[in-house]
Parts: sequence; structure tokens; C-alpha cells
Amino acid sequence: MIETVNLRKQFGTKVAVDGLNLAIPTGRVTGLLGLNGAGKTTTIKILTTLLRQTSGTVRIGGLDPVRRPHAVRKRINLIAGGERMVYARMTGRENLWYFGQLYDIPGKVLQPRIGELLELVGLTKAADTRVEQYSRGMTQRLSIARGLVNDPDYLLLDEPTLGLDAPIARDLRKVVAELAERGKGVLLTSHYLAEVEQLCKHVYVIGDGRHLAAGTPAELMALTGCHRTVRVTVTGLTPEVEAAALAFDPAVRVRPGGVIELSHPGDVAGALTTTIIEAGGTLGGLEIAEPSLEDAILALSDRPALAVVA
Amino acid sequence: MVVTWATLRRSWLVTRRAYPWTYFIGNLLLGVFTVSLAYLGLQILGRGEVSAEFRGKSGTADYLGYVAVGAAALMFVKHCILWTGKAMIQEQREGTMGALIVAPARRMPYLLGFSLFSFSAVALEVVALLGCAALFGVRLEPTGWGDGVLAVAGLGLAVFGMSVVLSNVMIVAGEAHITQNSVFYAIALLSGFTFPREYLPEVLQWLGEVVPVTAAMDVVRGVFTVGTGVDAGRFTTAVLIGLLYTTAGFLAMPWAERRAMERSY
Repeated sequence: MIETVNLRKQFGTKVAVDGLNLAIPTGRVTGLLGLNGAGKTTTIKILTTLLRQTSGTVRIGGLDPVRRPHAVRKRINLIAGGERMVYARMTGRENLWYFGQLYDIPGKVLQPRIGELLELVGLTKAADTRVEQYSRGMTQRLSIARGLVNDPDYLLLDEPTLGLDAPIARDLRKVVAELAERGKGVLLTSHYLAEVEQLCKHVYVIGDGRHLAAGTPAELMALTGCHRTVRVTVTGLTPEVEAAALAFDPAVRVRPGGVIELSHPGDVAGALTTTIIEAGGTLGGLEIAEPSLEDAILALSDRPALAVVA
Repeated sequence: MVVTWATLRRSWLVTRRAYPWTYFIGNLLLGVFTVSLAYLGLQILGRGEVSAEFRGKSGTADYLGYVAVGAAALMFVKHCILWTGKAMIQEQREGTMGALIVAPARRMPYLLGFSLFSFSAVALEVVALLGCAALFGVRLEPTGWGDGVLAVAGLGLAVFGMSVVLSNVMIVAGEAHITQNSVFYAIALLSGFTFPREYLPEVLQWLGEVVPVTAAMDVVRGVFTVGTGVDAGRFTTAVLIGLLYTTAGFLAMPWAERRAMERSY
């Protein structure tokens, strides 16, 4: 388990992280979300020993990274999408070999692992090509392989799929989910909120370095009052049908093209379409848009801190 | 040792790819020009003779031999600083510093890998330089192979200590150019590479004592130039100051690395 208690980081007068309490257990992907400048990367850098907190405590598998940084480093790794983190003048295979040496991985373990990782990130054919000749996506894929080279107990992912092609990003998500199933603790930040919704069982939302909310993606959406949106397209919309829809719920909006739209926390699609049909309307189409985590994050970032959900 | 050898191998791979021959030639030419200019100066200004004052202060009448040993030692020192001292800031520039720090490898074997690389690379250059110097009649005659090994080891330890400290200064300041050139000018002036330190005002001679390579150069001079062998006192001084710099550098390194990481936030 990675735990932080009242974690605080200050750069001069700027407070980047302010009193964060996080719990990142093994066997689960935990999300850390917030707008740019919220303190996500600073938090990850503290958890990976790159920075030291101004105050508060951090424990990684029971170890204090301030007192025992080398013991912690054996058990963690970091994949940061915005940074290269591999050597340009070495090949992909040479990079993984060198980082394997830095982690003191025995040759019998390292050699097959390098092959597996190159296969995993789709770089087997480019294994002996210098990184300076890789595309950005290929470099990012190698950086992901580097982050897995020590088979870490805890993997910290800071925008890991940034700049990746869709198939590779999908494969990486699959790997991350499998790592969690195998008992690894994973912390993920990502701007691709669909990725977070898909992978994370628990999400922390922070803003200005402070805790805003926590819970499952569904709980966060419920907490912020983000509603499901029903859009009914009515062929030959009449004033009677419009009136019936407004009588059903005053929050109904009539859009151009005969679209009647209603955002509501409950499942009202059936009742609304029945009302429209009973008023003489002909159903041309029905669309139900689920609330997104993005809506929740935006809503949370616009309001003061909320109570913890879970 | 695993990290040391891996870093040594990595350095050779990268250097061969980045500078197939140009780096070697550039360093060699610098040394050759230094000896050539000294030869021309000796012939044109001194008519092939050195003054009694120089003989008194340097302990030798072989000016070219004095300059050749100094040029080779300066090449050795600069090379070590350029590789070992700049290793971390190169990681920072390449975007690999975070990946390196997150790994559990200690910095001592990592920097030793760079030192071994620079020792092995510069050894070839020093041999080539002294070969060229031999064309001008310079003969390198150490007082003994054991003395020679001790003198080079003392110089190696001294420059390693300097490199560790400089590594911290560079990553905290976020720049290498001013730092390295300031150090190169300082050691060329204060440490007795190209002229006897006795020509300097006394205050600068004392200032030179805080530079680890100064005492180490006195040992090198005793073994390779003057023929008096290893001066135990100066050798001890070089080792102690070298160890002091090394220890202080490694103790400060975690702080310097965190400062370097913070600068990007």
C-alpha cells in the first residue's frame, strides 16, 4: 500500500500540494485527476523519490522514502508520458539492458524479460534501431517498457498514453489492468478520462494541490450532480407535443430539428417518449448520453472541496 | 560493479556513435598544439635554453618535457571533468535524469563507470600526445612504474573528487559551460600544469592548495619531470583532499538532485 498523510509540498511561496491523504492499495488501479497545475505530477514525483515533501508522511509498502529511498526505488517505477526517459543514442534493446543493470536484475531474468517487453510494446522489429531514429510514439512505447523492466510492485503512471496510437494505448491499458489483477498497485493520471473510467476502481480528484473528492467514477458523477441526457427526435413536432414535454418536466429544452432534450438524474427516457407519443408525436430517434467523468472533474474544479465519498 | 561496467559500456557505445573520431582528434590536437607552441617559444624566445630561474622553480631544465607532462595531465583532468562531472547534467538535458534517480543504483558506481571510461579514453590520447612530444625530443622517464601508478592514481582520485562536487554544482545551477570553463581556467592557473606555481603570488599559491589536483600535480612532477619520486607528504595531501571532495560531493548529491528536479517545477 502507498499511503500519504497530510502531504504538503511548497516551492518557495507556491504551495503545489496541500494536505493530501491518499491510499493506493495493491491489486487496484487508482486514479489521480485534476486540471493542469492541480499538483498531480508533483505528487507522483514525491511518491517516486524525485522530490521530497515539505511536510507530511509517505509510506510505500511500509517504507519511508525519505529514510530508505533505495529500498523504495527497488519496488517502484515511473512512466511519464511527457518525458523521454530513454537514451537517444542507444537502441531499444540496449536501453532496456542498461536500465536492467541499474536495477541489478540478473542476466537470466533480464534477457527474456527484455524480449517480452519489446514484444509487449510492439518494438521487437525496432529493437536494434537507435532511439534517435524512433518516432515519438515508438520512444514513448520504449519508455513504457523501461518502466516495467524491474517488474515493480507499484507503478506510477503520469499521462502514460500521451501521444500513443490508439492500438498501442489500448494494449497498454490492457497491460495496466493485468498488472493490477496480478497484485500490483497502480496510480494513474491521464487526460483521457475514458481511460480513467475504464481502468480505475477508485479516483482522487485534486485542485490547487488540495483534495476535492474521492470515490468510484460513478460516485464522483453522482456527487457532482452530473446527469444523464435524453434526446428525443420528433418527426413533425407540434405545439401540443412541445407542451406535453414541458408539462412532463419544465427542464425540457426544445432544440432545432425537433429535438426534445432533458438532463435528469433518473432514468426518464421511457416515460418521456411515452408522453411524447401520447401527445401525438412520432418518434424519429432516441439518444441517451451518459454523464462523463470529464463533466464531474470540471464540476469539482469549479467548486470548493467536497466531503470524501469513500 | 554491475552498474560501473554497464555505465562504462554505455559510455563507449554512445561516444563511438556520437563522435566516431572527431572527439579524439580534437583532444589530441589541443595537446599537440600546446607542445608545439612551447617548442616554438623555447626556440624563438629562449634560443633553446631555459632561464636559471625556471630551473630553480621547476627543478628541471627540460622545458618541453615539463610542458608535455603538464599538457598530458591537463588533458587527463579535463577529460575526467567533462565526462564524470557532466554526467548528471547530460542526463538532465537528455530527459533521463528522472529515470536514473528512480532506479535504485547508487551514484558512486555510476560515476565510477564514467571515470573508467574517461580514464580509458584519455589513456589513448595521452599515449598519442606523448608520442608526438617524442618527435620534439621529449623522453618520459618516471622514477619507477610503481611511482608512476601512484602518481596517476592520486591525480585520478583528486579529479574524481572535483568531478563529484562539480556534478552537483552543474545540476543545481542548470548549466555546465561557465562552471567547467571557470574550473579549467582556475586549475590551469593555480595547479602547476604549464608553469611552476612558484611564479604565482603567494596568495594564489595558497589558493591553489584548495584545488585537489594541485597536490596531485606536485606528485606527478616529482615522478615524471623532476625525478625525485613520490613525495609522501604531497601524495597524502592529494589523497586526503580528494577523499574530502568525494565524500562531501556524495553527501550533498541527494540534495542537489532534488534541487535539480525542483527547478523544472
